[in-house]
Amino acid sequence: MSHRKYMKTLRLDDADLRSRRAFFELRDEDLARLATLRPFAEKHTDAIVDAFYELLLGHPETRRFFADDATIRRVKHAQREYFLGLFQGKCDLAYVEDRLRVGAAHERIGLAPRWYLGAYRRYLQLMHDRLFADLPEAEARAGFDSVQRLVFFDIALAVDTYIAANLDAVGRHQAAIRELSTPVIRVHDRILLLPLVGAIDSVRAQQVMDTVLLRVVEEKAKCIIIDIAGVPVVDTKVADNLVKTTASVRLLGAQTILTGISAQVARTMVQLGVDISAMHTLSNLSEGIELALDIVGKGITSKSRLRGGAGGRPAKREG
Amino acid sequence: MRGSIPILRIGDALLATVHVELHDAVAEAFQTDVLTAVEKRRTRGLVIDISGLDMVDTYVARILADTGRMAKLMGTATVLVGMRPEVSATLVRMGYTMEGVHTALDLDEGLALLRRLRTRRR
Amino acid sequence: MVVEARTRREMKIASEDDVALVRRAVRALAESHRFDVFASAAITTATSELTRNVWVHGRGGVALLEEVSDDERMGIRVTFRDEGPGIEDVERVLAGGYSTAKSMGLGLSGSRRLVDEFHLESIPGRGTCIQILKWQPF
Repeated sequence: MSHRKYMKTLRLDDADLRSRRAFFELRDEDLARLATLRPFAEKHTDAIVDAFYELLLGHPETRRFFADDATIRRVKHAQREYFLGLFQGKCDLAYVEDRLRVGAAHERIGLAPRWYLGAYRRYLQLMHDRLFADLPEAEARAGFDSVQRLVFFDIALAVDTYIAANLDAVGRHQAAIRELSTPVIRVHDRILLLPLVGAIDSVRAQQVMDTVLLRVVEEKAKCIIIDIAGVPVVDTKVADNLVKTTASVRLLGAQTILTGISAQVARTMVQLGVDISAMHTLSNLSEGIELALDIVGKGITSKSRLRGGAGGRPAKREG
Repeated sequence: MRGSIPILRIGDALLATVHVELHDAVAEAFQTDVLTAVEKRRTRGLVIDISGLDMVDTYVARILADTGRMAKLMGTATVLVGMRPEVSATLVRMGYTMEGVHTALDLDEGLALLRRLRTRRR
Repeated sequence: MVVEARTRREMKIASEDDVALVRRAVRALAESHRFDVFASAAITTATSELTRNVWVHGRGGVALLEEVSDDERMGIRVTFRDEGPGIEDVERVLAGGYSTAKSMGLGLSGSRRLVDEFHLESIPGRGTCIQILKWQPF
């Protein structure tokens, strides 16, 4: 995901920014104080960034992200920019967008949150030690207090980036699963077939109905055969959904043929009092196909009948 | 208000295309226009095209069903065509299945259905 | 999970035109949250039913439109308030089924089936408050 998409997914606007700053208690005075500490930051940038990377390069799981010296130089440069960015005295949407860009880059290479968090801890320690070494105690304490607020604000953004990226992946997977679980097939002109396989919970039932309706309109179907031989349990909910689907398909001007009804399922449906009067119901799929063809005004004929005599030429050519 | 919903003659059937929201005044005018047309033009069937409606609540559904019933009393069968899939799903999920109302995919199918209904009646 | 309102918008329901305006506003919210056509139709239709009820039976009122979230996903919450006669037999009305023309029964029970959360409070003689919520579909 691009950082701009993250902004959208995380609904990062002025209102959200204000809300985050309020919760992290990141006040204007903190930003102002960080701006005054800029000279301190510039003085210690290189040393802090080097010490920061000592941790990452000294640990095998994080070392692998830095393949060669060129990469290390590049990320150290970026890290310097990041570090100095904490002392700009600003925390507006531009700042946030910038931080998200960094988060997006890390997410893309697959750096897990725990390394991220461990690295931030290192950062805070390095800054703490240098602040207290360089400045009078009161100033150092105030400075570290403000730095902490901003760093935690940044950590939240980094974590949100991971969450947003994961939600996006989940969404895409779910879309794929939905398509796979409702495979509506066009078996003939204006005849659709949906072989339902597997358990049907209420979420899936709704998706099945929605997909069926979309496809009926798309294909201008006159009928759809729904085969439920592969559905292990047909309870009230499943039966109710089949009834609803049939009623909806009717409103679109088409008919539903239910096939694959076993003796067990037939029993259950009658005992549950399911009203199947409006549905065509058959026990097997091939009967369903024959009925569907009949509905569209067609039928299946054996070729020998068309030939009109043994060894003769076909009397009529099909298609 | 009268005439908001165009009513055309197609063969010996009437086609009313609903493309605006059917609320109070518009709905009443629609019913009046349709019934006047049915009466005056001695038509055999009525097709109401609702492909332009992206939302049909129980109020609108009732108007459509009522119009069909009124036309039927005057000897004219009515077919509703072009219902959108999400409209159909929503009505049924609410519990409004519009039983007793003829439906077809589009105008062609609607006219074919009207022909079949007429043949059956004879 | 705490449900938090991100935005709020109050709209009056004082005329037939307002019914359409409220409905359109809800549809716009649904579309901005990438609700698919079915989810969008569901929340829009439920809104239409309930707004119409406020107008026809409640003698006018207000609709509060909110975009909400619970950390996992976004949703749309609409609260309808009126100071009309209230609903005498809530249970019977909610049990639904078909009802005679001009009655609010089917619209109310039907709307309930279209949304994820539905809350109703009514005091005969004082007024009615109905709140619906639909989450962004997966």
